[in-house]
Amino acid sequence: MGVPALEETTEQEVMRASGLMARVWHLLRSILVPVAAVMVAMLIGAIIVSATGGSPIQTYYYLAIGALGNPLNISETLVAATPLALTGLSVAFAFQCGLFNIGAEGQLIMGAIAGTVVGTTLNWPAPWLIIAVLLAGALAGSVWGGIAGALKALTGANEVVTTIMLNYIAIFFSNYLLERAGPLQLEVPGQVPGTGATVSPPLHAGAVLPPLVPGGLYRVHWGIAVPLTCALIYWFILKRTTLGYEIRAVGLSPKAARYAGINVKRNMFLAMAIAGAIAGLAGIVAIQGLFPHQMFDVYNADTTGFDGIGVALLGRNTAIGTLLTAILFGGLDHGGQVMQFGAGTPSNLVSIIQALILFAISAQFVRYLRIRLPSPSRSPETPEVMPSLEKVTDTWETTASDSVINLPEDHSG
Amino acid sequence: MNFLQQLLIALSHAELWQATLRSATPLLLAALGGVLSERSGVINIALEGMMLTGAFFAVVATLTFQSPLIAVLIAMMAGACMAYIHAIASVKFHADQIVSGIAINIFALGLTGYLLRSIYGQAGPPDMLPYERIPDIVIPGLSQIPFIGPILGEQNLITYVALLVLVSVHFLLFKTTFGLRLRSVGEYPRAADTAGINVQRMRYLAVTASGVLAGLAGAYLSIGFIGSFTENMTSGRGFIALAAMIFGKWTPLGAFAACLIFGFGDALGNQLQQTSGVPAQFLLMLPYILTIIALAGLVGRSTPPAADGVPYEVGAD
Amino acid sequence: MPGREGNVAAADIAVYMRGIRKEWPGVVANDNVNLVVARGEIHALVGENGAGKTTLMNILYGLVRPDSGAIFINGRPAHIAGPRDAIRLGIGMVHQHFMLIPVFTVGENIVLGREPGGPFGVYHAALTAEKIRELGEQYGLSVDPMAKAGDLSVGQQQRVEIIKVLYRGANILIFDEPTAVLTPQETQELFHILRGLAAQGKTIIFITHKLREVLEVSHRVTVLRRGRVAGNLITANTTQEEIARLMVGREVLLRVEKEPACPGPVVLRVQNLTAISEQGLPVVRGVSFDLHAGEILGIAGVEGNGQAELVQMLAGMRQPTSGTILLEGRDITHYNARQVRRAGIAHIPEDRRESGLILNYTVAQNLVLGRHRWPQFARYRFLLRLRAILAWARRLIQEFDIRTSGPQALARALSGGNQQKAVVARELAAEPKVLIAAQPTRGVDIGAIEFIHRRLVQQRDNGAAVLLVSAELDEIRSLSDRIAVMYEGQIMSIEPSSVSEERLGLLMAGAAGVGAGG
Repeated sequence: MGVPALEETTEQEVMRASGLMARVWHLLRSILVPVAAVMVAMLIGAIIVSATGGSPIQTYYYLAIGALGNPLNISETLVAATPLALTGLSVAFAFQCGLFNIGAEGQLIMGAIAGTVVGTTLNWPAPWLIIAVLLAGALAGSVWGGIAGALKALTGANEVVTTIMLNYIAIFFSNYLLERAGPLQLEVPGQVPGTGATVSPPLHAGAVLPPLVPGGLYRVHWGIAVPLTCALIYWFILKRTTLGYEIRAVGLSPKAARYAGINVKRNMFLAMAIAGAIAGLAGIVAIQGLFPHQMFDVYNADTTGFDGIGVALLGRNTAIGTLLTAILFGGLDHGGQVMQFGAGTPSNLVSIIQALILFAISAQFVRYLRIRLPSPSRSPETPEVMPSLEKVTDTWETTASDSVINLPEDHSG
Repeated sequence: MNFLQQLLIALSHAELWQATLRSATPLLLAALGGVLSERSGVINIALEGMMLTGAFFAVVATLTFQSPLIAVLIAMMAGACMAYIHAIASVKFHADQIVSGIAINIFALGLTGYLLRSIYGQAGPPDMLPYERIPDIVIPGLSQIPFIGPILGEQNLITYVALLVLVSVHFLLFKTTFGLRLRSVGEYPRAADTAGINVQRMRYLAVTASGVLAGLAGAYLSIGFIGSFTENMTSGRGFIALAAMIFGKWTPLGAFAACLIFGFGDALGNQLQQTSGVPAQFLLMLPYILTIIALAGLVGRSTPPAADGVPYEVGAD
Repeated sequence: MPGREGNVAAADIAVYMRGIRKEWPGVVANDNVNLVVARGEIHALVGENGAGKTTLMNILYGLVRPDSGAIFINGRPAHIAGPRDAIRLGIGMVHQHFMLIPVFTVGENIVLGREPGGPFGVYHAALTAEKIRELGEQYGLSVDPMAKAGDLSVGQQQRVEIIKVLYRGANILIFDEPTAVLTPQETQELFHILRGLAAQGKTIIFITHKLREVLEVSHRVTVLRRGRVAGNLITANTTQEEIARLMVGREVLLRVEKEPACPGPVVLRVQNLTAISEQGLPVVRGVSFDLHAGEILGIAGVEGNGQAELVQMLAGMRQPTSGTILLEGRDITHYNARQVRRAGIAHIPEDRRESGLILNYTVAQNLVLGRHRWPQFARYRFLLRLRAILAWARRLIQEFDIRTSGPQALARALSGGNQQKAVVARELAAEPKVLIAAQPTRGVDIGAIEFIHRRLVQQRDNGAAVLLVSAELDEIRSLSDRIAVMYEGQIMSIEPSSVSEERLGLLMAGAAGVGAGG
């Protein structure tokens, strides 16, 4: 299935696409849309709150406080934002190649599993174990993403559906590992195997990412460097390398990419593998950074992967945008818990708001999307409706000083 | 007893097959909804959310009105409302249908959880009394036949309704003019438009219908099958229905066959989970693995309607 | 029917469009256009690309609403808000892009929207088939109602479209560039059908830019230029030159001025090249030719006879099933697109918007497309040299006179002609040994056409070997030093540039040359 457009461009906008003023205006406009979306969502959220007998003002007050009101909450917001930033970058990267990575959750789980296995098996000192664990997480995630990428490349299997399926497979796998005496479940001496908590043993000390502020009060940890680094790598790959050029080309026009000799299949696979690696990091970083450094069996209800989609879309698939949006969503998540405590409003409101934001954003994508599917489609390419006329940006000097208006080459008059 | 022996014992009892049909029922209803929606060209990943919404409002309605019939109707309407949102976003605003679908799922999850806690607090809703649930039906004569009897003759009312819907949807899609037009909209909307068919209206209808059916599926889950509502109780069934639809190549009968397979897996997993330590999780994975295999073309090509997922703009006016 | 003077009695007017105006953002598609068509007439609507012909007919058919103007059908004012109104008035349109659903049968396609059982009834396949056979007999159009539309040939599909329109009771039939995809033989069959329809009282309007056809089959002609009516002619009294002059507004240069060619050694040798489609049918059957340095070899033929696949194989986008391609003696048969480019073959693709350019990339990014890994543009084939790319882009923009606001402008912002120039610039600037130009001036305005033609000849004069594939016979004849004709995957013959048009027509129809008549 297709992917939302990376940027909508109207004729006018495009006309002024160069020049500093235009750049600034374009930037403002890019921010305006997400901001408006958030505000609309908050408004509707407020209506829902008052409709069910709550107080919107109180609700949002606690929400705001809970997000950024004091250093403790800021720390918690950053903690929540870290995995979100990573799944957001993961989804965004896949989007750049025209692929919809709904499988960030599954990749996250596999990363957590691999990282936990490595982190509980090897007993190396820091920083070597940290690196090994991170690598394991990234690798597992990239394999999980790579499966969907390979399927798409080789058989054309729709990545939306395959990644959703892989998500569930990963969830069940994690259940198996951590429940009823599964291989990864912590064994407590004296307890009947399989009846204890569904958690893994803790990671060895060498794998732990220490908190930024020693003392144990603030949970925000050095894992925060991971999304920052990934964002940098994200930007660099896409803007400065031939790999990024090719991936984006495939995302924008597989036909043109093929013409240019770009290996579409290979790039699709790589994009999904890289996206999977980033999401895999999301899974293990949280375990490395947060006490008690154990893997919990929570993935049935975990929404980090799905939220990553919202983060990528709201962040317009840019590195900076994704980071900022992750902080926003992280703030909403933690703020939501404080809100539930302080104002009594159920924290589900945050999900509602996030969904509304998604709606507001999705209606912006007015590009026509194509499903790329395996079979030799016998149907014609759905022709473009009323061809959009291109502007005449030049004046020709033909002998009679006529300038003929150009229309796209379906010979329409 | 080893796994194989247990398996054989399970297979030989009618209970397993009866449970198969029971598990398959909500899947079938949702999958049929999905077929309708996607045949008109609108991708519907939101079956999960619509089902959940139906499940929730069915419970609320039952506790309020004490009538499962009214509850079912309300559940269907609730599902329809959710679907309508998806339809507006997709058809009118040309939103990305996948994003819209995901948004519905998140929205439904959040909304039902929110209302659950608002209305019923931490304790949750009270359990339902027998008369408040959708009744199981026993068909005289049929139910007496050995082995087949319980399977076909003793099921919940909704199961029989689902089978009826199956036949109706099949007939509608392939034997009626309406079905022809619906399919044309999903294949080549511009051609349909030129032929004078109202593409937008068709899509609205199909998507809303999918919401009605998914809502019904949810109602069955909460007040026909399990008897209560818990947060996120659909737990992926909507996605299995989606998988069944793809597996069934977007046809009602194909989807039915797939739902039976998945229902079987579900029922078998439940049974084996209780009787042995065999990791049932691997059986639970089965529907998902099978779908991936189907998509990879190992079970023949899986092609959706040609214009599935492509928004359509009517003329330039 | 109009009299010799061209005046039409009011009672005989089937279609009268008065003062039609339609404006799109920045462009006036129709500017105060009047159109008069008599009943039983075959009326040609001609004009250059962008003259407003399709817009006008879309207005008549209700796909587009005019900003102002009035329409009278059979003398009565008509308000056409959509195709349904048009159909009710007896207007039917046969589109250039067929509106057939490939997975539906012919019968289902024809009756869709007006099924015999009504919108809420059961669909009767047998009844449908019956009605279609009746119609077919009445108008001399034979189709199989049970065949799947996707399996039909182009000519057959067009016949289905015609029956579709007749089934709805059309008395006024609009054809949008009907012969664009037909062989000369199929074109003759179509004209036969049109004459038959007109004889039975149907009114026919057909859009075309092919002047020969206008003279052959129409009764009267309306010429549009830049959205306005440039002239109204009686076919019997006019000539191709007159129509052409009205279309363009000046004398049209139909031939490029060029020196005779001095062909050098063979650069590209193609031997027995074969390609099999996904359905298992051969689309290119044993094509062989030699391409010399310093010559332009034109490949003529109606689209769909294997030219596209041949080009794909030469450009490395498709693997040949058998045969060899030798570049200066080196076997490059199985090279992929990247290797082909590296070897010195450039390719101007036939669909610039989909293959040739990435519209959402900047002009600069597009100007290195396909060569982005070359050492001058990428360090270690991985890190892009952004400054070098920009400099390159600026150079090309200047040298090829690409009108754009700058190298950082999106390719989407360029006009069609400039987009094509960008593609041409990119390919020519690589100084290739072999240049493959597929439909290089399709959808491009006259000024750009002349520019591109001149550059192609210049390339040839500099010693490159040029392969020109075009469905426009005039372009082939004016540019080529030798002309090869493709029909059903084979090269029927390779002729000198002085070959007559009749012979070309025969070759294109498969009625002459190798394997003719088969």
